[in-house]
Amino acid sequence: MHMVAYETQSSVNDIQLITRVVAGDAAAERELYETYVDRIYRLAFRLAGDDELARDFTQATFIRAFEKIGSFRGESSLSTWLHSIGVSVALNGLRKTKRQRSREAPIEEGITIGSARVEAEPDLKERLARAIDSLADKYRTVFVMHDVEGYTHEEISGTLNIPIGTSKSHLFQARSKLRVLLADFAPEWVS
Amino acid sequence: MTEDNKFEEFLKTKAQDYNAPPVRVPRDEMWAAIEAKRAAGPRVVYGGGATYMVGQRRFGTRMWLGAAAAAMLLVATGVGIGRWTATPSAPPAVATTQPQTPASVTPSVTGEQTGTPLSSPIQPAENGPSMVASSSGTNTGRPVHQGTTQPRSSAPGNGPQVALAPAGSSSAYQLTTVQHLSEAEALLTSFRTRSNTDQQMDAQLGAWARQLLSNTRLLLDSPVANDPQRRPLLQDLELVLVQIVQLSPGSAPQDRELIEKTLQQDHVMTRLRTAIPAGTQRGS
Repeated sequence: MHMVAYETQSSVNDIQLITRVVAGDAAAERELYETYVDRIYRLAFRLAGDDELARDFTQATFIRAFEKIGSFRGESSLSTWLHSIGVSVALNGLRKTKRQRSREAPIEEGITIGSARVEAEPDLKERLARAIDSLADKYRTVFVMHDVEGYTHEEISGTLNIPIGTSKSHLFQARSKLRVLLADFAPEWVS
Repeated sequence: MTEDNKFEEFLKTKAQDYNAPPVRVPRDEMWAAIEAKRAAGPRVVYGGGATYMVGQRRFGTRMWLGAAAAAMLLVATGVGIGRWTATPSAPPAVATTQPQTPASVTPSVTGEQTGTPLSSPIQPAENGPSMVASSSGTNTGRPVHQGTTQPRSSAPGNGPQVALAPAGSSSAYQLTTVQHLSEAEALLTSFRTRSNTDQQMDAQLGAWARQLLSNTRLLLDSPVANDPQRRPLLQDLELVLVQIVQLSPGSAPQDRELIEKTLQQDHVMTRLRTAIPAGTQRGS
């Protein structure tokens, strides 16, 4: 949705911007950052669900982008290239975080099990969040990008470096799994 | 509208709350952090050059450390297996037949000498190089290779023919090597314990080292050098002996220290003692 506007006008502006950044123009770096930071941060937050992680991922994305911008060949738009770095950074970071958290799991599990007995049945919002979290990374990423953040399949394809058909397939898989997981709430969407 | 479409709409609407980001994006804070991190790390060089961040460098170092540890483990395992497999399962048998092919180092070992340490480890072979007693006035009974040093490369009919060496001669070579190493140990011990001002002693040690150097080189050209443990030891010994030979009487203490350093760094003495089985008659 919001991305389309960037894509159509990015070509000339992006080339000029990249040229200035490569030349060492500090103002151009800041301009590039200001142009794309909101969307990168939003996507990082959607994937991480945590402000601190989202900030870390966003910062790492731009640091890496500034390092590698000289090798950017313009085969995709600057936006797609940046998002590609951003998603890669976020998913790798989340995997690392998951591994760390899984090592701490025994204590946390004990707390969860103990409190689950006294808690009431979680509402739809909570169940949906859990269901989305339970999706495999590849399905969750496509679902978040398409259904939550409004990216097109073309944009997802370019960002994740997968065919458009694969993007569609992943979205279908994600929705199907969510539908099964949220079967209890079927009356809500049927009505 | 089908049920699928209804579910998609429902999902899109409800999922907007999933990990909903804050309205205000912390742009300035993140930019400050980016600048700080870039300032802390190596300077960015555009164009895909060799740039890396602090975190990546740590990761890289960790990777290299892991790889180095794995390599060391692999080498240690290899050495362990090598040592284990190199250990003879049966007591060393002595050759009962004389090697037919002339070798540079041809121990004269017969069945009569079985189990008896040789008094003179390296004896002149019938067609081998001339090995005579020292005529330098310090007749120690040690063999001396007359003339120029034997070339390292195995010339046909001159050096040892590894492929043609009789199988029974290997034990004889082993005995010869042990005797030679014992003598080398004696020399090196003498070298380490001598007085720094004793020039006569230096000259005697030099002559002795020269003899051992010749024999070391002959052994390096013999089937003994096929042993993966013996070869490096002989090579290191050769180096030390060359240094001692080149040590002129009254040379600077630094030269002696250099030899001492080589001995310590390469653990030559330890390896020599390890290579010599217990109970073997040591050199003089």
